[in-house]
Amino acid sequence: MEIEQVREKVFEGRPGFPREYGPDRTDRQPGYPFWPHEVYRDLVIILLMTGILFVLSAAITPPVGPAKNPTIQPFIVPDWYLLFSWGLLKIAEILPTGLVQIPAPFGPLNVDGAFWGDVLTAIPIIPLFLLPFVDKGREERPAKAPVRSALGIFLIAWIFSASFYAINNLTIEKWPFLGSDDTLKWFFVIPPVLTGVAAYVGLRRLGYREMYWWRVIPIGIGLFLLLLQVTDTFLLQPLDAGRSLGDHLGTLAQPQVQALAFVVGMVVLMTAVVFYAVTFLDERRAKALLKPFFVLWLVVLLLVGKFIVDTQPSSFAYVLFQTMPSLHLIYGVPIFVLITAAVGLREPYSAYEYLLNECYQCGKCHTACPVTKVEDDALGGLNLVYNTFKKQHDGVPLWTCLACDACSAVCPLDIQYSDYILEERAKGAGAPQGGEA
Amino acid sequence: MAKMDPIGRTNRFLFGWIRERFPTVPWADVTRQGVETVQRQLPRSHTEKYELKTVWYWYPLYCLGGIAFVAFLITVITGIVLGFYYIPDGTDTFTAAGLPTNPAKLSVACINGDSECPYAAIPFGFIIRGMHHWSAHMMIAAVFLHMCRVYFTGAYKKPRELNWILGVILLLITLFFGYSGYLLPGNDLSGGAATIGINMAKASPGPPWLGEFIANLMFSGTDVLTANYILRMYWFHVFILPLVGTLLMILHMALVWVQGVGEPH
Repeated sequence: MEIEQVREKVFEGRPGFPREYGPDRTDRQPGYPFWPHEVYRDLVIILLMTGILFVLSAAITPPVGPAKNPTIQPFIVPDWYLLFSWGLLKIAEILPTGLVQIPAPFGPLNVDGAFWGDVLTAIPIIPLFLLPFVDKGREERPAKAPVRSALGIFLIAWIFSASFYAINNLTIEKWPFLGSDDTLKWFFVIPPVLTGVAAYVGLRRLGYREMYWWRVIPIGIGLFLLLLQVTDTFLLQPLDAGRSLGDHLGTLAQPQVQALAFVVGMVVLMTAVVFYAVTFLDERRAKALLKPFFVLWLVVLLLVGKFIVDTQPSSFAYVLFQTMPSLHLIYGVPIFVLITAAVGLREPYSAYEYLLNECYQCGKCHTACPVTKVEDDALGGLNLVYNTFKKQHDGVPLWTCLACDACSAVCPLDIQYSDYILEERAKGAGAPQGGEA
Repeated sequence: MAKMDPIGRTNRFLFGWIRERFPTVPWADVTRQGVETVQRQLPRSHTEKYELKTVWYWYPLYCLGGIAFVAFLITVITGIVLGFYYIPDGTDTFTAAGLPTNPAKLSVACINGDSECPYAAIPFGFIIRGMHHWSAHMMIAAVFLHMCRVYFTGAYKKPRELNWILGVILLLITLFFGYSGYLLPGNDLSGGAATIGINMAKASPGPPWLGEFIANLMFSGTDVLTANYILRMYWFHVFILPLVGTLLMILHMALVWVQGVGEPH
């Protein structure tokens, strides 16, 4: 077959394969070609990576260690990416075990720790396969999909917790203040949940969207129940025969129950008030509520704490020293609450700026804007939204805008430009900021 | 016929001889045309398409998949070199001092240049092994971060569902690559990891014979003392996983090429 015939047979007439090809083609092709632009950029990354790997392998030779020993089973730690599976294998001991009688050849099913380890390892993997069929729609920025993002952050924190629990023996040995093994088990639940909730609230506010009350209420109830469960487990249950004092306070805690209840109650109160303010109130009211609340909270904590110290010194010391090994997670809650409040009550200006940054200059707002039809400045190609967020305006777009919302109506990204303009004007006129519409 | 210089005549004779028997020219030409045509058809990012000045601050994270692939290429190259020297034999023997050892461990000691090596040490073997080790770690970290990026930008949604599932399979393959890799040196880590692995395989949800079948399939035995798991994992590590993994990676990247990157605008 002749060359020309082959060329025509293979490519001619196919969509996207015009007759002219190669560097000589005349029609304009926007964008960057694979060669040389992409190739050079990739080459830089590849060479940099190879160089880093050379230096790393020359500096840190991975040790081989002693040979495997058929008689002694040494204590080993798997590589970091499999630690989560090992942690799940270890936590599986809290789950019920036994022999499930199923007729052969499908049984019997031996439910033991390794079985639960398998199942728990499969649990994070199976949803990954189902994910695109559960979560449909279009791709979105993380801040625009707070539920998905918070779930992702929760899962990452959960994987970290599972990996952390895999080395529980070393952890307790090295950091005895973290308490007993029972306490470490709660690391599976509490840090991931708190991180996820803080991420949800923060992203919801970052995207400058209202909270859905029907999502907020289950989260709040769940948090409350979690706190109650932890309190119950560590404080109020009787001391079991098989457990040491560090695991459970139990009956020894009964005389000091008032002081303990006070400590836990203060944490719960702070969580509840901040949660209510951040999720349900607008920023002005939330700040007006929270500022005096924090002062009052601190005053009550100090006064009642001093009262307890004065009247029952042994009780106070007991609470402080006995709760540290098993209740430090509860002391961590106020930190998360403060982070949530700080993220949730950001200045609205920065949030607006974040939203404006989504603009990709399609120019639809410019076409729709009635001001650009009459303003001399605007006739010269003044793009209100783009120039405003680039700080390239001299106040003209700010004070000539009619706030007619025509731009928001055509905006493919639903940028609320007129909201921003009104906020800026209010700020310029010295009005108090904030206030979600 | 015009007189040609000796080199030209030699070339003409040699390549003409080959060309008569193996006519490569049309296909080379067609390939060149294809590359030159297709390279202008790369799916462009939104920024490139509309020549925008704004660059989304997540764009640097879009190179993580490529970094994972480059790290994979480095492990392949260094792995081919290691394959010349590694002995996939985990039979337990004892040294003159009575310490346990095995041929796999000794071959790794030779690659690493350790003193217990009974043969000639491999010059710069520790660099090759180190690069294999660290680029494998880099690949797994990059794969995990790449997956996080895809998740948080929602890039797994229509029409990229298939590519997401391919990616999850590739994640599992990558993890199994790592696991089978650190079972190979025959050191204490391999022994301990094989024990956990065999126990987990035996405890597979289902009837006992299923777990035993899986343990036999993956580790060539149900007892860590008698199973020749190093040979089995060697074959997984150097043949089955690279074959399946490379094919799926090519498919994965071909789909990205066809569909373009997911941009959450």
